[in-house]
Amino acid sequence: MTRRNVFALLIALTGAGGLFAVLIVYGGTGEALPALAATFLERSIADSAAVNVVSTVLLDYRAFDTLGEATVIFASVTGVSALFVRAHLIPQSRGAGILVERAIGYLAAFFWLFPVYIVLFGHLSPGGGFQGGVALAVLIILLNVVYGTERGASILTTHRLHLFEDAGALAFLLIGTVGIIQGSAFLANLAAGFPGGVPGRLLSSGAIPLLNLAIGIKVASGLATIFYEFLASWDKAGARWKP
Amino acid sequence: MTAYEFAFLFLLVLLVVAALAAVLVRGYITSIIVLSVFSVLMAVVFAFLQAVDVAMAEAVIGAGFMTAIFVGAIAKTRRSS
Repeated sequence: MTRRNVFALLIALTGAGGLFAVLIVYGGTGEALPALAATFLERSIADSAAVNVVSTVLLDYRAFDTLGEATVIFASVTGVSALFVRAHLIPQSRGAGILVERAIGYLAAFFWLFPVYIVLFGHLSPGGGFQGGVALAVLIILLNVVYGTERGASILTTHRLHLFEDAGALAFLLIGTVGIIQGSAFLANLAAGFPGGVPGRLLSSGAIPLLNLAIGIKVASGLATIFYEFLASWDKAGARWKP
Repeated sequence: MTAYEFAFLFLLVLLVVAALAAVLVRGYITSIIVLSVFSVLMAVVFAFLQAVDVAMAEAVIGAGFMTAIFVGAIAKTRRSS
């Protein structure tokens, strides 16, 4: 073991020990629930009629933070797109063969069902727009691997994906603006006049399913854009990258 | 120690083993696959801790999306070098 390895091991051990100490000190406070969490658990169904408390916190109480997270993804997608702006998508893979294509063709309908279910039932069961959106992006990647990027990129061009992402982000902002128009706060839910409905129904809890849908479309198209940009190559003319 | 606690402890040990294996194993592709195994184990740990939303995000991002992005990036960089 060289001196450099010992040094790296020392740093790693120090970091792990510090993390462990922080967890010991701040991790378990002994109380069952912090005060805010107890309030959220008590009032969430009355406030937003959503059974899944996590979605209430994410899209009602702390919806502005969720807007910030969506902005982070938007900025990263924009950055990757700007980095590869001179690149062209050169089709490289021709698919995985007739057997895999047929098998996935029969299974694809069920694969679609899962992300759509996660997004649409975000206010009832675990999951939501982000998880369902990423699952949808992974499904798009899978279809690209199976059927070849040539066919995939001709159907879902990056231009269309950008349009989808912008539409999702705009829908989120417009749903938030309804609260201001109705005389309540930005991104307000039931206070903005969205119908609460019966808790537990699919069409309930006001704006939360709409926000989930907007986030799902936005995240799915954004991450699929990143995947396509990673596949893109510089052609002969633009081979040299100019900063 | 109940069976529940034992299973949780076993998962945590497996998590550390998977994390070490992801660093120490030879070959980029193998390392990525081990990393996705780590993500799946992490998702199970989150589900154990009753954070199912986080578990779902971890499984989908760590095991699905990150693997695809890493494999794509390595396929691109290996050809040019």
